[in-house]
Parts: sequence; structure tokens; C-alpha cells
Amino acid sequence: MSSAELLLPLLIAAPLLAATLPIVLGLWTDRTGWPIAAVTTTGLFGAAVALASAVYTGTDAAPITHELGGYPRTYGIQLVADQFSILIALLVTAVATGVLVYTRQGGPRGNTFYTAYLLLTGGLLGITLTGDVFNLFVFLEITSIATYALVASGDGPESAVAALKYLILGTMAASMYLIGVAFLLMATGTLNMIELATAIPAAERPTLIRAGFGFIAVGFATKVAQWPLHTWQPSAYQQAPDGVTPLIAALVSTASAYAFGRLIVTVFGVDYLTTMPNAATIVLTIGCVSVLAGTALAVIQTEVKRMLAYSSVSQFGLVIAAYGVVIAGSSETAFIGAAIHLIGHGLLKAGLFLGAALVARSYGARTVDEYAGLAKARPVVAGAMAVLLLSLVGVPPGVGFVGKWYIALGAVQSELWPVAAVIFLSTMLTLAYAARLLEKMYFTPPAALDWPRTTEPVATDGGDTTVSIGMLAIVVIAAVGAVALGFAGGTIAGLLEPFLMEVFN
Amino acid sequence: MVADIRPLAAVLVSAVAIVLIIASHRRPNLREGWSVLAALTKFGLVVSMLPAVMDGTVFRWSLKESTGIQFLEGIDFALRADPLGIFFALLASFLWIFTSFYAAGYMRGLSEHNQTRFFASFAASLSAAVGIAFAANLVTIFVFYELLSLVTYPLVAHNEDEEARIAGRKYLTYTFFGGGVFLLAGTVMIYWLTSLVSEGPTLAFEAGGMDALAAAAQVEPVYAQAAFFLLIAGFGVKAALMPLHSWLADAMVAPTPVSGLLHAVAVVKSGAFGVARVILEVYGPGLIYDLPLDVPGIGEVGLNIPVAIVAAFTLTAASIIAMRKDHLKRRLAYSTTAQLSYIVLGLSLLHPYAIVGALFHIPAHAFAKLTLFFCAGAIHVETHTDYISEMAGIGKRMPLTMSAFTIGAAGMAGLPPIAGFVSKFYMLIGAGDVGGSYWLFAGALLLSAVLNIAYFWPVVYTAFFESEDRHDAKPLLEFPEGGLIQSYATTSDDESVAADGGEPADTSGIENEPHAADTDDYEYAVDKYPSDHTTADTDAPSQPTDARATETSTRDGHDDHDDHDESVAAVDHHGDHDDHLTGGPPAGGWPRRSPRTESTWLMLAPIAIIATGAVVLGIGPDYAVFLELATRIVEGVFGMPFEQLGDMPFGELMTEVTN
Repeated sequence: MSSAELLLPLLIAAPLLAATLPIVLGLWTDRTGWPIAAVTTTGLFGAAVALASAVYTGTDAAPITHELGGYPRTYGIQLVADQFSILIALLVTAVATGVLVYTRQGGPRGNTFYTAYLLLTGGLLGITLTGDVFNLFVFLEITSIATYALVASGDGPESAVAALKYLILGTMAASMYLIGVAFLLMATGTLNMIELATAIPAAERPTLIRAGFGFIAVGFATKVAQWPLHTWQPSAYQQAPDGVTPLIAALVSTASAYAFGRLIVTVFGVDYLTTMPNAATIVLTIGCVSVLAGTALAVIQTEVKRMLAYSSVSQFGLVIAAYGVVIAGSSETAFIGAAIHLIGHGLLKAGLFLGAALVARSYGARTVDEYAGLAKARPVVAGAMAVLLLSLVGVPPGVGFVGKWYIALGAVQSELWPVAAVIFLSTMLTLAYAARLLEKMYFTPPAALDWPRTTEPVATDGGDTTVSIGMLAIVVIAAVGAVALGFAGGTIAGLLEPFLMEVFN
Repeated sequence: MVADIRPLAAVLVSAVAIVLIIASHRRPNLREGWSVLAALTKFGLVVSMLPAVMDGTVFRWSLKESTGIQFLEGIDFALRADPLGIFFALLASFLWIFTSFYAAGYMRGLSEHNQTRFFASFAASLSAAVGIAFAANLVTIFVFYELLSLVTYPLVAHNEDEEARIAGRKYLTYTFFGGGVFLLAGTVMIYWLTSLVSEGPTLAFEAGGMDALAAAAQVEPVYAQAAFFLLIAGFGVKAALMPLHSWLADAMVAPTPVSGLLHAVAVVKSGAFGVARVILEVYGPGLIYDLPLDVPGIGEVGLNIPVAIVAAFTLTAASIIAMRKDHLKRRLAYSTTAQLSYIVLGLSLLHPYAIVGALFHIPAHAFAKLTLFFCAGAIHVETHTDYISEMAGIGKRMPLTMSAFTIGAAGMAGLPPIAGFVSKFYMLIGAGDVGGSYWLFAGALLLSAVLNIAYFWPVVYTAFFESEDRHDAKPLLEFPEGGLIQSYATTSDDESVAADGGEPADTSGIENEPHAADTDDYEYAVDKYPSDHTTADTDAPSQPTDARATETSTRDGHDDHDDHDESVAAVDHHGDHDDHLTGGPPAGGWPRRSPRTESTWLMLAPIAIIATGAVVLGIGPDYAVFLELATRIVEGVFGMPFEQLGDMPFGELMTEVTN
């Protein structure tokens, strides 16, 4: 048992165990939450990096696996770190560490908050690293429950309503997924992903598999917030405390989208799904419609956080559409695009929501109109947000462009012209709401009546309006990272290569 | 191919300057110093590569070779200085030197706000423009093309008023539709097409067309055609091909140095340059000629014909529209639209002479149009006059400026000995040499020369040969299309009615105003084009509707014309901010100034130098480097010495180049 293999259970167990510490230590002091979370997430990030280097530099390009408790995978639980999952694990740990920089001063405070925070991180890493479809459900639930709690911790009754809405829809989605898994178990008798991959094509009753895929697709469409099942997401993002939204927006739906991709390429298998009637059409339609509907809804929003939330609907639409292209055309390129876009979108949204939180805190601006004149008053955060927004639009060299390039190339290679058209047009659609905010920040002088606000900002978080260097730095780092990843298109594709060889042949 | 860092250095020089400009935002002299220094360095770097490039060396820098980073899988982020690239880079960097002086004079003369942002964006635009010039493949050119759209947006929206914001929105929409949608789609399709054949996948430019694409076009001709039109549409947006042109006129709200260098040279030419890359080095003339488009009712035509038709239409239509523009910068913008279509038309004729003419027209138009814009800007700074109808007798006030304007205008019309003549001459030879239906395109070129005179001569005429208190009506501007039945040279009363645009509200407004007595200076901007005033009246609830009704009914015969003029007024009389109410001659008429005192040297020197450049290019094109470079490019594309190209029949030439 190598040391890299041990990191796998540690990555999941450590945050879950550490989540209990703030509560326990809270008996004596109220200020332990942040340090514990900071130490844990930093350690997780280091572990993820170590694991990633082991996976990517490994000689045989085989994934690193760990059987929990030593039980063989046919009936035990297996954890897997391969070229795809470790990418997401890196994103999760990096964002979880980065957001803490904001919450230190930006709040929310309190030990229970950090318990939920670590629980969420552990759940997300579980989704990422598990190799078992039922275990995946467990981690989905852990993630969701932590998220409900975090959303509900916002001020005011709206947060409670948003959390309740999320709770109901999220539970429905998880149940859908569970039903799908049950069908798979009925048809094949196993829950392990690798075992399923060989058992599904050989299953005697394909109807069960099809029904299973249908339930799973609907479940994930809800979790990923695809139109028209997205309704929980905008209010959850908007009503969650400012420090929480970046984490949720960057990771929760991303992990679900990753899990869906994992099920498509590893469990069901591209070849099997290609022959399954209507599977490609359904996934493609969900994705493309969400791209269009999400942007249309984003353009008409007045609240910045809400606008960015709807933007997530459309950006995840691109990912789901890419999955559709993967199924329809067996396109490796589209899968690379989906992976890059997942990473890129996570980073961009984390940066944007952190920026929005900063602006709300120091400038008191929450609506698009209130952003007027931000560039003059807060040049650094405005500049970073501008870079992130433009990257989201797909202006090269930003990470948004790289993902879009691969997805579009995949669609064109598979000769799916309507999908290609939607992907190309999505640039314009994203520009529609991004430019709105840019124009407000840079080319609209603040209205005279609003000026007192900047001298006497509205207290949003306990009256504290200071902005630490760290908060500013984390937004800038996100922006720089978005541009730097824009040059990493070839590198990431190269890293994924062994995984793609595995699943596409 | 020689690996060399200079192409990258030439791109990055002004990117570094951005940082320095922003850092020294408190010290304007230092800040402008960085601009000038960056311009000189950039030009020096480009010139240092010129001799070797003329001898056939190609300098190349690639991200993968120098750092090992692969931009996208299978696609390198690469720059290379080949003849075509150096051609555009040389032009942009040379003109930037003088524009940075001029911009300093202009922005200070108007005490503009946010000058640091302005100069930083300007430097960024030049970075992107040189990046477009040196881009070695379609993805790299796409990257810089998008960046150029982005960094010029702050310049268009510079004024931060509602009008500038709307123009900025329109600008972003058009350019991103062109870049992010059409160009990206075309690029992806080319990558896919070339991956179908054994030579590919590739996106790198090759003189005479990509071999892989030529092979792929045999497999998938329809998609190859679609990709061609997507690419042309993508670059055509910036080249202001109709119907994608209307952003250009609106972008004229930007400060004049922007309109001059970017919206007459760097940005719009990057579109024309992109079209040149697509025609000469992606598809190649032979493939374009041999990839017939089946048009119902006509038969098979080359892919170039639709492009040529659009270009010919654009240059004629834009010239006609320009005649009816009273705002000088807008008239120049439509002239730019027309002149860029010359370039596209020349390229799409595919004949070597026409291509040389088209390429040479890039600098020829740049020098002349930059002169014109600089003059318009100088007039704006010195007198706040933007409207041609207010410029009667302005030659007294700004003698050197208006002389330079005359030279630029002559260059636009293609009169010898200005540079525009040379390029048009080559294009006409090319079109005539092909013969057949191409004579129609030659006809369009000739007609456009006449139209150019028709819209530029009135400016020169009114500046030098008319005076503030005595000048003729401007029938094209003021009268309904088709003309008035009455003679316009009758009494001054009638004239004033016509000059008002005949809008009833205006007339009544002016008559009611206390200063109605001073009918002698009704040429004043306020009286003549009271656009602000118009809106005020229309909005004012106090305006009795029945009074308006009677006014209208008494002038029934002019109803159509009224409506029309109102719409013209709505579009036409939005120009720079703060102009317009202060424009026109002062009460005592224009004072007479000598060329030395008419403006600051910061503006006059660039005007004089660029105008001289336009003449030099026209008198000795063989000695100025551009024509030689243009012939080198064409030799590279067709693979034989230029002297032999003229003797070869067109059809043979096209099959020759395919092989």
C-alpha cells in the first residue's frame, strides 16, 4: 500500500472528522472554526496536489485506487483517483481553501458555519473520488445537507425559503438518482462503477438500464440546475451568505456535473449510450435549451448575484451539451471541453462571487445599477471582475475560450450543426449580460443620489466594511488563474489523454 | 523560418507600455513619453526585421517551441513575420508614432477626462493590431482579433455618456458577433476540414493557400464553402462590409485620434488584412476560383464573386450615403467604409495586379484617411466645429489643416500624384485584364472615384471658396432626395426654411425666439441644426398641438421631406460631446491665422508629415517600401516573379497556383 493510495481515504475522512472539531472546541471558545478549517483545507489541497502528481507522473498511467476496509470492489467500496477525478479534486480543494481567505473577515462567523463548510468539502471530495454509484448517492446527500444548512444561515426569512426550496428539489433529485441506481442494481447486481461498466452492456434486460439512465439524467439535471429544473438555484445562490455563495456556486453543481460525466463515460460507456435510443438527443436538448434559457433569464436580472446564478444555468448547459456531443459523436474533444469548462467555470464563478461579495461589503452595491462607477471607486476588484467576466464570455486567452473551443470543435467534428450553432451563439448571449455589468462598472458615472452610499456604505455583515488585502488578493488570483489556464488548453488535454484512451476504446 | 523573439517583442512592447502608462498616471508628460517611446521601439523592431523579410526570411516565434506550453491540443500559439505580416505591422507602428503626438495634443486641447485609460487602451490596441499582423495561424489571429475588439471598446465608450454607451454596445455586439461567432466558427470548421485529410489538421497560414484545406475541399466542398463565407463574414465585420458596417459610423463618438488610427487604420484594416490572409494564405486564389458555387439561374461562379459583389455594392452605397452626412467625421466614416471595400474588392478579384493594388491601398488609404481625420480633429479642438455646413470659410482660420485635408481628399478620390491613384490604377488593370463580367467591378471603382469627389469637394470648396455670411445651399444635405421643384438660389427666406430642415416645430421655435431678429447669422449651429432644441420642443408639453398641426398643414407639400429630414437629424447630428452648440464661426467670422499659429505643433506636425507621406507614396511608390512588399506578397502567393504574372492568362494563372 503506497502512501499515495492512503491519501485517498484521508482526503474524504479528514474533512468529515475535522468538521466535528469546531463544535467540540466550541464548548470552550467560539473562535476555533476558522483555524481548523484553514488548516484542514490547506492540508487537503496539499494532499490533492501530491495525489495529482502521483497520478499524472505515474509510470503506467493507471488510476490510483483504494478499497475501503480491504473488501474487494465487487461488494466493497472503492475510491478512485484517475486523471479526470483528480482534476476536480484539485479544483474543490483549491476553491475551498481560497474562499476561506474571504470568510476570515467577511464572515459568516461561528463554529457551526465551519462545521458545515468542512462537511461540504468532504462531501464534494467524496463525490469526486468515489468509485461506487451508491456511495456517490451518500456523498451527494452529505453535500446537499451541508449546502441546505449553509444557505439557510443567511440573514432573513428569504434564506430560509431558498433553503427549503433547495431542500425539496434537491431531495427529489437525489431520490431520482437513487431510483436510477436501484434499476441498475436490479439489472446487473453490482454497484461498483468498473463492474457496472462491464455488466451493463451484458445486461439481459436493457429496459431497466434505460429506465435507470432516464432517472439518473433527470436527477442530475436538477442537481446541475438545468432549465426547467433550475428553480432552486438562483434563490439559493442569492440568499446564501456572501461568503458561502462562491463555494456553493463553484463546486456543488460542478461536482454533480462531474458525477454525471463520470457515469456517462465510465459506467454506461459511450458506446453503449450511443446505441441507446434517444439518450443523446435528450442530453443534447437539455443542455442546449439551458444555454439559451439561462442567458435569457440572466440578462433580465437586476441583482448581480442572481444574474451570475442564471449564468451558471447556461454555462452548465454548455457542459451538459458537451456530454450530449460525447454520446452522439463519441467525441473525445467534446469531453476534454466539458472537463476544462467544469474547471474553468468553477474558478470563474468562485472569483466572480467573491468579487460580488467584496463589492457588496465595501461598496454596498448589490444590483447591476448600483455597480455604476465601481471602476473608479474600487479599481482593483472591478478590474479583476472584468477579466473574469470576459473570460466567461470566451474572450481568448481565457479559460472560458479553451473550454468553448473544445466543445465547439467536438460538435463540429460530430457534425451536430444546431448544437454547434448554439455553442457559437452562446458567446454573444454571455456577452449580453457580461457587457451590461462591464458598462455599468466602467462607463456609467454613479448617479448623484447614490453617492452618499460610498462614503457611508450600507452595513451588510455586522457593519464591518473593511476589505483585507487577502480578500482582494484572492479575487485577483482567480482572475490571473483564469487567464493562465487559458494557455493550459493543450496541457489539460494532455493530462486527460490516458483517461480518454481508457474510456473511448 | 528563423526562430526569433522579435515578432513577440514587437507585440509586447506596447503591452509593457500599458503598465508604465498606468503607473505614471499622475505625470502626463511621462505618460505620453511612454507612448512615444513604445511607438518608436515597436517601429524599430518591425523595421529591423524588414530587410531580412524582403530577402525571403520568415521570423517565427512559437509558444510551444520556446516554453513547451501547447495553447490548444494540436494548435500552437505562434507569431511569424512574413511579408504580409510585416506589411501591416510596419504601417500600424509607423503611423502610431505620429498619432501618439497628435493624441497628446488632442486630448490636452480638449482637457479630456480619463486620459490614462485612453492612452493605455490605445497602446493595447496597437499590441493587438501587431499581433493580428504577425499571427501565424487562424487561432492566433482570432485571439488578437478578439482582444482588439475588447481593448478598443473603452475608446469608443470614452465619453461615458448615453450616446457613447450605446455606440459601445453596438460596437461590442458587431465585433464580437464577427469575431466570437463567425470567425471562431470558421476557424473550427477549417480545423475540422483539414483533420479529414492526411496532411492535417492544421491552421497555419501558407502563402498560396493551405494544402491540407485544398485537399479537404475536394472531400467536403460544401463545408469548405461555408467556412470561407464564415471567415469572410468574421473579418468583414471589422472591414465594415455592408450590411455589417453600421458600427463604424457610430464609433465616431470616440475621440478623433481613435477614429483616425483605429477606425481608419488599425481596427478596420485588421478586418481587411484578415480577408487578405483568408484569400491569399488560407484558401489561396486557386482554390477560391476552383470551388464553384452553384447559383440557381446563373450557373457556377467562383467563391470570390459574391464577396466582390458585396464589396462593390458597399463601396457604391457607402459613397452615396457619405454625400448626405453633414457631420464631418461621419462622412469620413462612410468614406472609410467605401475605401475598405476597395481593398476587399481588389483581393476578391484574385488577379495579381488587383491584389497588389488592394494591398497597396491599405497604406495608401491609411495615410490619406489619417490625414483627413487628423484635420477633422484639429478643427474640432480649435473651433469646436464638426459640421460641414458650419465650415464655410474655415480655410482662413486653419490654412495648413485644410490644405492637408485637400491632399487627403484627393488621395481618396484616387487623383494623381496621391497614393490612392496608384492602388486604384493597379486594381483597374487587374479587373480589366480578367475582362468579362469583371468590367462591372472596374466600373464600380471608377464610379466611386466620381462619388468621392462629389462628397469631398464640397468640404474643400466651402472651406476655401465660401465665406461665413455668403455661401450656397447644400442641396444634397438639405433638400429632399430628388431635389426641390423650386430653385434653391432664390431669396434668403426660402433658403432659411430649407436649411432648417423644414421641421415645423423648429421653425416656430426659432421664430418665437427673441433673437429671431439676427437673421443674418442664421448659419449658426444652434439655428441651423437645433437638434437638442428639437428634442426639447418635441418633449415640451407646452407646445400646442394644434399650432403644430396648422404649421404642418400649411406646408403639406413638404411632408415627406419633413419626416425624412427629421430622421436624418436624429442620426446625423450626434457627434462629439460638447461640440455643436459652440461650433461654427465666431460672431465676427473666422479670424485669419497663419499655418504656424492655427493650432499646436503637437497636432500640426503629424498632419503635415502624414499628408506628405501620402504624396510620397503616390509619387514614388517604387521607393517607398510598401509597393515592393506588396509585389513580394503576390509573388509568394503565385510562386513566380511578378513580371511573369502579367503575361499569363488569368485562367492559367488560377490553375497554376492550385498545383
